[in-house]
Amino acid sequence: MQFQKEVEILAPREKVWKFIWDVDRFIACVPGCKDAKTLEEGKKYSATMVEKVGPFKVEFPTNIEVLEREELSHIKAQASGADNKIGSRMKVDLDVHLREQNGKTVLAFVASVDILGKLAALGHGIIKRKADQVLDEFAQAVKKRMEEDA
Amino acid sequence: MLRRFRLEEPGSISEASELLSRFGENAKVYAGGTELLLAMKEGLVQYERLINVKNLKGVSEVTSADGMIRIGALCTHHELETSALLRDKLPSLHKLEQNVANVRVRQSGTLGGNLCFAEPHADPGTLLIALAAKLVAEKSSGKREIAAEDFFVDAYETSLQADELLTEIRIPVPAPQARSAYLKFGYLERPSVGVALAFKLNGGLSDVKVAVGCAGPAPRRVPEAEALLNGKSREEAARSLVEAGAVAGRASQAISDLHGSQDYKEHIVGVLLKRAFQAAAS
Repeated sequence: MQFQKEVEILAPREKVWKFIWDVDRFIACVPGCKDAKTLEEGKKYSATMVEKVGPFKVEFPTNIEVLEREELSHIKAQASGADNKIGSRMKVDLDVHLREQNGKTVLAFVASVDILGKLAALGHGIIKRKADQVLDEFAQAVKKRMEEDA
Repeated sequence: MLRRFRLEEPGSISEASELLSRFGENAKVYAGGTELLLAMKEGLVQYERLINVKNLKGVSEVTSADGMIRIGALCTHHELETSALLRDKLPSLHKLEQNVANVRVRQSGTLGGNLCFAEPHADPGTLLIALAAKLVAEKSSGKREIAAEDFFVDAYETSLQADELLTEIRIPVPAPQARSAYLKFGYLERPSVGVALAFKLNGGLSDVKVAVGCAGPAPRRVPEAEALLNGKSREEAARSLVEAGAVAGRASQAISDLHGSQDYKEHIVGVLLKRAFQAAAS
């Protein structure tokens, strides 16, 4: 499943960049994400993703690895996790781009999300919609948090 | 494999509601079990307790009084497909029930369970919205009516509170000039699209209700499509069906999945609306 999102933030690029690397504050913007830990500064992190569709709940202990980093403009990262209780796996490839535009910072990201295992029984459409909601909420939460701080 | 759970046997709706209140997300109401037990066997959901409501009295009858048809939430699809009252008063719902899933599901699955599980590809919710049904939610401290169109919140989510049970489905007895139809289409086990249409035909069309289900996360009423048909003569309405179908298709929030692409489902909504009109108006 491929997703593309873009959000305009009324804050300078340096500030948005700094915010992305402030793990605790950044993770607070990811819906359902908790227990974030830094394993290797700037490279490896872990967190737990908890999501819910009606009565169906998943909890993915997730490892996040930063694969590429271009100061102030680009981050490529990969997140993967497994919920052994339900027997499902998740893998997310994330490309984040920052650019300046009319005094604002545009945060654009492309996410490739794969969900495998029994969770697929819920149906591709339902999972896709949920992932889309999560990414939308995330983009709006980053914007809100940054603009409140500005 | 089904994990161990404790089976609670409440003696009344009130007791069942108290159990739900006490055990929260660790407990679930168990009626026909056709959806719930499958999900539990797959390990997709786990509950410490199932609250068996199958033996509760007074919630498994179909009656008609004071201009209202009352269907107990525990009525199985088989009881409804063989109900003479439904056949006479609500032929569209009677026909829908004859075609729910398969004979095994109809034998043990209940209408209430179907509505509460809110599986996106279920049939009854869509027609109940078009028939202006009210769903009765009950808990130990009282009961309330929820319009069918407000009952479905999202995929697998309803507006029932955690300690409420669905006990009855109330449908106004249709006027003699009332017409309705539900049509579905799919090529997998569950339908890809379901469309319900209801209206009064008295010279022209009035009180038009259009609802779409299965295509998106939850069944929904489409007032914009209704407005294109309301107050029109039969011929005018027939000419507006293409536009009404396109509006209903877009409003269905169709999702691309194994049941078909978004465009395909939106197109099928239009086709089914046209056919539902022909079936209901003839």
